[in-house]
Amino acid sequence: MRESICIIDDDQIYQLIVKKVVERTGQFNSICFYNDGIEAFEDFKSPEYDLPKLILLDINMPQMDGWQFLDSLIAHRPNFHLETIIYIVTSSIAHSDRDKAKSYKEVSGFLSKPLSVEKLKEIAVRHR
Amino acid sequence: MSPKEGSRFFKKQVFSRPILAGILAFFFLLLLGFYLLFQRYQIIREAEERGMINVMGLVEQNLNHLLKDSYSVALSMALLINDEGEIKNFEENAPLLLKQFPIVDDIQLVPCGVIKKVYPYERNKAVIGYDILNDPNTRKEALKAIDAKKMYFAGPINLKQGGTAVVGRLPVFKNNEFWGFSAVIIKLENLLELAGLKKLTGEKYLFQFSKVDTETKKEQFFLPKKINSEYQVSETIVLPDGDWKFYIALKNPKESFYELIPLAFFMLLFACWLSWMVILLFKQPDRLQKLVNAQAGELANSELKFRTIFNQAAVGMVRVETATGRFLETNQKFRELSGYTDAELRNMNFKDISHPSEIDKNVSLMNQLSTGSIREYSLEKRLIQKGGNIVWIKLSVTPLWKKGSSGNTHISIIEDITERVFAQEELAQKEQRYRALVENGAEVVTIFSEEGWTLYSSPSGEKLSGYSEAEIKAINLGSLVHPKDFKSFQKQIQTAIQNPKQPFLGDPIRLLNKAGEWRWAESTITSLLDDPNINGIVGNFRDVSEKKEAEINLNRSYQTVMEQNRRLLNFSYIVSHNLRSHSSNIQAILSLYNTTSLEEEKLNYIDLLSKVGSALNHTLDDLNEVVSINTNLDLNVEPLQINTFIDKTIDLLQMQITKKGAVITRDVPDDMIVPFNSAYLESVLLNFLTNALKYREPTRKLEISITGYKENEIWVLEIADNGVGIDLERHGDKIFGLYKTFTQTANSRGVGLFITRNQIEAMGGRVAVESEVGVGTVFKIHFK
Repeated sequence: MRESICIIDDDQIYQLIVKKVVERTGQFNSICFYNDGIEAFEDFKSPEYDLPKLILLDINMPQMDGWQFLDSLIAHRPNFHLETIIYIVTSSIAHSDRDKAKSYKEVSGFLSKPLSVEKLKEIAVRHR
Repeated sequence: MSPKEGSRFFKKQVFSRPILAGILAFFFLLLLGFYLLFQRYQIIREAEERGMINVMGLVEQNLNHLLKDSYSVALSMALLINDEGEIKNFEENAPLLLKQFPIVDDIQLVPCGVIKKVYPYERNKAVIGYDILNDPNTRKEALKAIDAKKMYFAGPINLKQGGTAVVGRLPVFKNNEFWGFSAVIIKLENLLELAGLKKLTGEKYLFQFSKVDTETKKEQFFLPKKINSEYQVSETIVLPDGDWKFYIALKNPKESFYELIPLAFFMLLFACWLSWMVILLFKQPDRLQKLVNAQAGELANSELKFRTIFNQAAVGMVRVETATGRFLETNQKFRELSGYTDAELRNMNFKDISHPSEIDKNVSLMNQLSTGSIREYSLEKRLIQKGGNIVWIKLSVTPLWKKGSSGNTHISIIEDITERVFAQEELAQKEQRYRALVENGAEVVTIFSEEGWTLYSSPSGEKLSGYSEAEIKAINLGSLVHPKDFKSFQKQIQTAIQNPKQPFLGDPIRLLNKAGEWRWAESTITSLLDDPNINGIVGNFRDVSEKKEAEINLNRSYQTVMEQNRRLLNFSYIVSHNLRSHSSNIQAILSLYNTTSLEEEKLNYIDLLSKVGSALNHTLDDLNEVVSINTNLDLNVEPLQINTFIDKTIDLLQMQITKKGAVITRDVPDDMIVPFNSAYLESVLLNFLTNALKYREPTRKLEISITGYKENEIWVLEIADNGVGIDLERHGDKIFGLYKTFTQTANSRGVGLFITRNQIEAMGGRVAVESEVGVGTVFKIHFK
């Protein structure tokens, strides 16, 4: 059975790359992109909205960064993490970011870019 | 006993016995006094008796006169009877007679003892026809008149017609034949009145009269007041016409005696006093003798006391010849002190054992004593002992002659005060040492009252406060403490007061000095309010201004370094993040490239790689700009007029301003000139204005206002717009961060504000923002 995946990242080139990576894993039947946390939040905040199975969330974004996105969504849909799996995917290698990610029970993992096909496949399999 | 012996006895017995002498004198005086009193009493009595005889004489005269008048009336009436025994012209003559002789009240003619004619008629008509010879009451006296053949006064009797009266009856004989009576009635009251008894006796005398019954010889008294025959001093008159006796007596016979009593009492007192004086007088020689004896004893006693004190005294005592200074007498203690024997000292002068430097002063004082200009003196001086050692002594000198007279010796008392002098010297040295420590130390020592008034301030206080000790005493300490430090200082003092004698170190406080500068001082407060020697709060102040300034500077440097560090960290984060995002993209593309065999896809990846390269280049350009701002330390900074640069920027943006219909209002003074790099200032102004133009609220006309003003001596430039605004709650901490954009406007890159802020901070200024979504944004640049 194949799942849906969503990428929230402002890097256009990365989006193109991730699209290829997702296709190569062969684990997902649908993929969506958001350029900023705010855009994704506008869609996700409504409880009727069907959340994707897996969300790959960047931290550094111009208007609403990854943390703000998480905080806002938690405020609107406190139990959204039961409907989806969130991974932080960032080019940051700062420990502070990694530690902060661990403090969110809604976040399942922290991945440093680049994201490889193998890694994504493994995650897809783990949460099947 | 011969007179000579008598006088000796008297001398011996009386002069030596004052009390006996006193008693004798007393009785003698008393006797003499009473004798004089008795004489006086006799004289008074004689005078009284004389007075009474005189009165009686007058009364007797008056009575005789009155009785004669009565007789005249009775006789006149008798003449009315003619030889035939008939009464003629009674009615005509009776009133005339009564009028002429007022002594007679009524008239009766009584032929043969029967009352026949009366006048006045009305009053006496009741007795007409009354036979007096038949009435036993009247008969006896009526017969007496007939027997004597002369007028006889009967009564006094109670009249039938009322009242008490005397009735004078004249027997009338016609032809040697008893015809009857011619009677006159005299009212007793009337009689006494006209006799002058009332007038003459008055207050002073008592009066009485009596009648002696001729048969019984019994005396009958007629007046109510009885005369006490025992004490009476009386005179009597005897009137034969009626067998009457008149008495007169003193009303108060003892009055004259009583009058003398105070005088007698005075005599007694006088005798007492005089005898007492005699006793005292006689006692005087004895007393004087006793006094002489007592004083002689006392003198001997005090001489003994003086000897004992002199010899046994715990202090040195010397008797000195004043004129020469030679020792006459010395006591044991002095000999011990000086080290010389009694024999040695007898040939010595005080100068021999005095320290040379004090001899002159001592001699001068001794001379003054001798001339009487001073009565005593004391001196602290040095004494040279026999062995040559020097001891400190206190010399107290008293002359042995009375004030005003002259003499030639004095007493010197010598105390060894060597130890005290040394102790004093030591104390003074210590005091000097501590004083030097306090006064020359950098630390200020003050003592102040609970109310903050300075009681003492060490000289170093002037260095800290600029005020002299006198000036600082007039200023309340509280007024010199910086308002922000006042509470903590007050708390420190209160803690000290609650814990007496414990020092409390407080936080450094700012104190205002005389020059008006704030100096930092560290204080230690100890409450010695309970200590009677201090009775205040001791404050030790240290000037820590330099230290504090250094601390503040250090803190400021630390803040700067921290700020720089923060910015560096931020920068390194940006660098790592932005560069890594590119490198990770390259890695990912290469990985995809290597795992595909499709040529077309590979070309696609190459194309992507070139895009990554161009993005990387862009990032590096941005970073370069930021680094150049932060590292360019030799940048040219000059005073720039803000208005000139605003003009330039508006010129540059004129096209956009016109196109977007923006209104720019300016209120910037021409004297707003700030030190800045010209290129940076252009860049900063351009950036803010471009932002304002870019992020306008499309639904309303864009208004931009530029205001320049001074705030706390610092120039502030305010650029306000009514654009879309920024949600500061969400973006506050990163509005000036790199690659942050806050609107969905397409061409925002998130570089401008980051650069601008770095440029302002590089010039020593800072930038702040106030904004509200939908209302507008205000940027404030605080220049250095």
